[in-house]
Amino acid sequence: MVRLLAVSCVALAALVLGLGCTTHADRLHEIRSEYHAGNVEAARTKIDAAIPKSRREADVLKLDRAMVLLAEGKPREAEAILREVRDRFDEKEGKDLAEGALSMLADDQQLAYAGEDYEKVLIRFMLAISNLLADGSDATAYALQVNQKQQQIIESSRSLSADGKNLKESYKLVPAGAYLHAALREETHTNFDDVARSLELVAKWKPDFGPIKHDLQRAKTGRHSQPGHGVVYVFTLVGRGPFKEEKQEIATSAALLIADRLIFAMGKQSLPPTLAPIKVPRVVRPTNAVAQVVVGVNGRVTGQTETITDVGQMAVEQCEAVFPETLARAVVRRAVKKSMIYGAKEATGVDKSMMSSLAFNAVGVLWEATESADTRCWGLLPDKIQVLRLELPAGEHQLTLQPVSKTGSFIGGAEPVRVQVQDGRNSYVLANFPDAKLTGRITTNRPAK
Amino acid sequence: MDRRYFLCLVGASGFGFPALVGCRGHQVGQVMTDDKKDLVGNTAAGAETYKPLIDDALGKLLGRQYAGVQPAAVPAPAVKRICFVGVENKSSEELGDFKEQITEIIDTRINTSQVFAQISRKYTEAGLREARMRPDELFLPANQRKFLAIMEAQGQPFDYLLFATVTSGTTRGHNQTQKDYLLTLELVDIQTGTPDKESASLRKGYYKSHKPW
Repeated sequence: MVRLLAVSCVALAALVLGLGCTTHADRLHEIRSEYHAGNVEAARTKIDAAIPKSRREADVLKLDRAMVLLAEGKPREAEAILREVRDRFDEKEGKDLAEGALSMLADDQQLAYAGEDYEKVLIRFMLAISNLLADGSDATAYALQVNQKQQQIIESSRSLSADGKNLKESYKLVPAGAYLHAALREETHTNFDDVARSLELVAKWKPDFGPIKHDLQRAKTGRHSQPGHGVVYVFTLVGRGPFKEEKQEIATSAALLIADRLIFAMGKQSLPPTLAPIKVPRVVRPTNAVAQVVVGVNGRVTGQTETITDVGQMAVEQCEAVFPETLARAVVRRAVKKSMIYGAKEATGVDKSMMSSLAFNAVGVLWEATESADTRCWGLLPDKIQVLRLELPAGEHQLTLQPVSKTGSFIGGAEPVRVQVQDGRNSYVLANFPDAKLTGRITTNRPAK
Repeated sequence: MDRRYFLCLVGASGFGFPALVGCRGHQVGQVMTDDKKDLVGNTAAGAETYKPLIDDALGKLLGRQYAGVQPAAVPAPAVKRICFVGVENKSSEELGDFKEQITEIIDTRINTSQVFAQISRKYTEAGLREARMRPDELFLPANQRKFLAIMEAQGQPFDYLLFATVTSGTTRGHNQTQKDYLLTLELVDIQTGTPDKESASLRKGYYKSHKPW
């Protein structure tokens, strides 16, 4: 009777703790499909419906909500949401005892999500862009925060490699923040030293950024623009960005299964066999059709956007860098679960030849099978952030943005936007091309009157 | 993946579990009263460096100018107008958000000197934008005249141009680094072209401490 009660209790606990059967990846799939197909409203509806249902995913869903708002041309609302999530991610940094213990009994989805490192940095960049498209009063602060956050992440890292090196020192850094800072400082016409310093960072972090040589030369000896001219920065969010998927760690699962059998042969008790594979999150980078965006001014092609930050590559590399830790946590979790079943058998005096031992093992297998990988991520990020700087005469101009493939052939229609250029000032334009079709609308801080 | 390294990680995750999960700290802020000392930057210069540098350099420069423009038994002269062009950072560290702070502190100190008044930065920026001049180009007399004409047209004539430059010098020792920070202020009389220069310096040492804080 006592044994039956014990088995029932463990089974119930396993079911209660097996909270993570549906992963964020499942929910995100539909949202991404709608957004990438240009159905912004449908994507917004799905996000709004998902936020109240999934408390643990609310922050990442809100980040997706902010992307939708930006695409809809609502930068102020997007900024408010991004700021809220940034602050909450900051609060959640570090580890919590209760959450840590719960994650060992269930899965990593029980941990508060403080964002992947690249997400923490990109929030600040998206804040800067959102603010620039509104009044621009806080854009310089956000642009500075991009670099400060990167520095803080690397300096406070406890992730060490086998030879004791800081794993995060190898991170690819986000040059888009430094680039934006340079653009903002150049507009003051008095801080060319800051411009040169920020552009030097861009050159260091993204040496293959085409215009950097010319930009640096202008910062060191030139001027913002010639008299009677202004500058337009065309930012494009290009391609379908990275997301996390649940993957099975077959090799580790097989190794654990062998370990189970060894303990079974030698130990007093049997262990639940590792039938359920160990699940871990891996970053997936979709293949994208759009390579760049060609920009035309008043009917003439004037240039094409260049990648200032490769979000997809950065996400893959950063997640690879910390993957050993993720896998180690998953293995320890299995060990904890198995040892709890082992302990329960010892406490209730079950022998490995008894039927109740099998029942305990079945509960153990069930418990392990309820684990899911933590696939929470900012799902509507682009694959690449690109930019083009144009110096144009003051006045109104009609810009057209048209995506091209890697071979340089046009793969979508030309999308127009009318922009006001002011003498000696910057104008900013933002467009989303996750695929050949524009998602949402093109937004500018200086629309034509 | 290195097998030994991975096993170490698993071991650390298991045995060091309580330490690993730890406690999540909370961000706390507090108002620092005037009697509290500024925090000292552990990797770069901050308030503890720049504030005394500004006080020292600007105090000496304005003091000397004050003595020059107010001979004894003569009524107090009219306030001289300074056009502060900005701070140029030539040091090995980025000033970040401190640059605007330095500009504002210098601005306030000049305006409270009662001998000098500073032209609003907005006018200076607008003037430079209109002239499409870089601040360093204002050292040429022809450019100075052009800029003065633009500022006069804006109703903002001035008597002096003020330039500020931050530089640093690094000395590396065994396990420690010394940095010498220098703030240089250069005041140029727009009528005569005569420059007056003053600087202040401060040294800081950086090293790794094993003392608990």
